[in-house]
Amino acid sequence: MKAPAKFPWQKLYPYILIAPALLFVSAVSLYPTLYTFYLSAHRFRRGTFEFVGARNFSVIWESRSFWNSIRLTGVFGAWFLVLVMVIGLLLALLFNNKLNGNSIYMTLIFVPWMISEIVAGIMWRWMFLPNIGVIQNAIGPLLTTGERDFMFLASGAGAMGVVVAATFWRALAFATLLLLAGLQTIPSELNEAASIDGATRWQSFGNITWPLLLPTTQVTVVFMSIQAVNAIGMFLSITGGGPGRSTEVLSLQMYKEALEFNNWGYAGSLAVIMFLVNAALALIYIRGLQSQNAFN
Amino acid sequence: MSDKPSVQLEQALNIPASTAPPATTVRPLGRRFLPNERAWFHVILVLLCIIMIFPIIFTLLASLRPTGFGLSRDIIPEGGFFWGHYQRLLSTPRFARQILNSTINSLGGAILTTCIAAMAGYAFARLRFVGRQALFLFIVAMMLLPGITNLIPLYRIASDLRILNTYLVMILVYGTYGIPFGIWIMKGFYETIPKVLEEAAEVDGATPMQALIHVVIPMSLPGLISVFLVNFVFNWNDFLTALVLLRSTSMKTATVGLFDFQSQLEGNNSELLAAASILIMIPGIIIFLIARKAFLRGMVEGAVKG
Repeated sequence: MKAPAKFPWQKLYPYILIAPALLFVSAVSLYPTLYTFYLSAHRFRRGTFEFVGARNFSVIWESRSFWNSIRLTGVFGAWFLVLVMVIGLLLALLFNNKLNGNSIYMTLIFVPWMISEIVAGIMWRWMFLPNIGVIQNAIGPLLTTGERDFMFLASGAGAMGVVVAATFWRALAFATLLLLAGLQTIPSELNEAASIDGATRWQSFGNITWPLLLPTTQVTVVFMSIQAVNAIGMFLSITGGGPGRSTEVLSLQMYKEALEFNNWGYAGSLAVIMFLVNAALALIYIRGLQSQNAFN
Repeated sequence: MSDKPSVQLEQALNIPASTAPPATTVRPLGRRFLPNERAWFHVILVLLCIIMIFPIIFTLLASLRPTGFGLSRDIIPEGGFFWGHYQRLLSTPRFARQILNSTINSLGGAILTTCIAAMAGYAFARLRFVGRQALFLFIVAMMLLPGITNLIPLYRIASDLRILNTYLVMILVYGTYGIPFGIWIMKGFYETIPKVLEEAAEVDGATPMQALIHVVIPMSLPGLISVFLVNFVFNWNDFLTALVLLRSTSMKTATVGLFDFQSQLEGNNSELLAAASILIMIPGIIIFLIARKAFLRGMVEGAVKG
C-alpha cells in the first residue's frame, strides 16, 4: 500500500535521516582512503609534496624490507588463523553442548577482547621478559639448546610466537562466538537422527555439521584475516618490530615510514597496497554474507 | 544462517532473553561415549578459563607488590598487599589528565555514533527509497576498511586543518568509526519493533519525525544503550588512532600514555606499570560484565548478521 505524501518533504525524509551518517563516513573514511592514492604518487620534501608518479611503487618492488614485511605478515597471519580457527571450532563445539555455566565460561574467555591491545601487549611482553617473565622462566630453559638461555624476545621466531599467542589469546572468544552462532542454526534433530541410525560422532560431524557450518566458517576466516593483516598494536607494544626487523610486519613498516621517517609518499604507497588487500578480503566477506542472505 | 542467530545464541549461553523460546531438551550428539563426558567438558573449560584469565591475575598481583621484587616468587608478598602504586598513580596529575582525555574522547565519540546510527538505522530498517541497498552496502564496506590504512592520510589532513591534538578530531574519528557497526545494530533492533505503533501515532496526527522521536526511539532505548556502551569501550581501548593523531603530552589518552610509560621504564618499576595497566582495563571489563548480553549479541550481529 502506498500512502499519499503526508508532508511536503516526505520523499527527502530517508535521505535527511542518513545524511549525517553518509557525511561523516565520506569525510573520515572515504576521503582519506582516496587521499592515500594521492600520497602514493608524491614525495614529501621540505614540507611540500612533489609528484613522482609510480616511483614509490617501483622503489617498494625492489625493497628487500618490503618483501620481508610481506613474508612476516603471511607467517603471522597463517599461524594466527590456524590457531584461532582450530581451537575456536573445538571450543564452539564444546559450548554447543549447552552445558550449565556456559554463560560464565563465555564471559570469562571474552574478557581479553575487552582489554586494550596495548594493555594486553604489555602484559604479554612482561611474561616473556628475561629474568622476571614467568613464562620465559618456565619454558625458556626447556627450549635452550646451546650455552645461552633461549630468550623469546631476543629471537625472531620467539618474538613472533609471543605476538601470535597474545593476538590469539585476545581474539579466541570472538572466533568461538561467531562459530557458535553458526552451530546454533543447525537443527539438532539432524545429528539426533544420524546417531539413531548408528552414525559415529565423526561421521555426523563430517557429513552434517561441517558442511552446514562451512559458510559461517568462511566468514569467520575472512574476518580473522582482516584482523591479522591489520594487526599492529601488539607488535608495537610487544616487539616494536624487533629483534632487528624480524617482526616488522607490513602495517608496522607503514607506521614507521610515515611517523618516524616522514616518508609520507612511501608510507602512502604501502597504505594503498594494504587497502587493496583489505578491499579484496572485504569483497569476499560481503559475498559470503550475501550468500547467507544477510542483506534482505 | 537462519534469521535469528542471536536468539539461538542466547539459548546456548543460557542468557535469559525477552523473546526466548522454551529451551530444547534435545541432547546433542554422542551421549553414549563416556558416561560422565560432560564432567570432562567442564574440566576443559575451567582450565581454559584459568589460562585466559592468568595474565590479568598475574598483572594484578604484581601491581600489589612493592617495587624491586620482580624476582620474587611469592604470590602474596610478605606484609600483605601494597597499594602504594595505585595511590601514586591517582595522585599524578599527568595520569589523571590522560584518564580525563580518554573519557572525553570516548564519551564524545560514543554519543556522536549513537545519535547518527539511531537516525540512519531507522531509515534503512523502515523506509523504502532509491539507492537504499547501495548506500547500505557502501556503509558496510566502510566498516571493513580498518582505520589503520586511513591513519596516514588522516594525520596529514588533520595536520593541514590544524586540528591535530584536539578533542574535536578524536571525537569526529571515533564517532565515525562506530557508525557502520551502530547502523547495523540499530537496523536490526528497529526491525523487531512492531510497525503498528508508529502507524497508530501517525493516524493520531503525528508526523513521521514525531513518531520516530516519541514512539520508536523510547522503545529502542536498549539498542541505543548497547550501541553507546560497545562504542564507549572500543574508543576507550583504542590505541592506534590516538597514538597517531595525538602528539602533545597534555592531550594524550591513557592508552598512549601507557605506551610511552612502557618505553621509558623498560623493565624498571614494572609494578607501577602493572598498576596503570589494571586501572586502564577496569572500565572496559566492568562495562562488559554489566552489559554482557548486549556485547555478545552485538559482536555476532556486527560480524555475521543473520
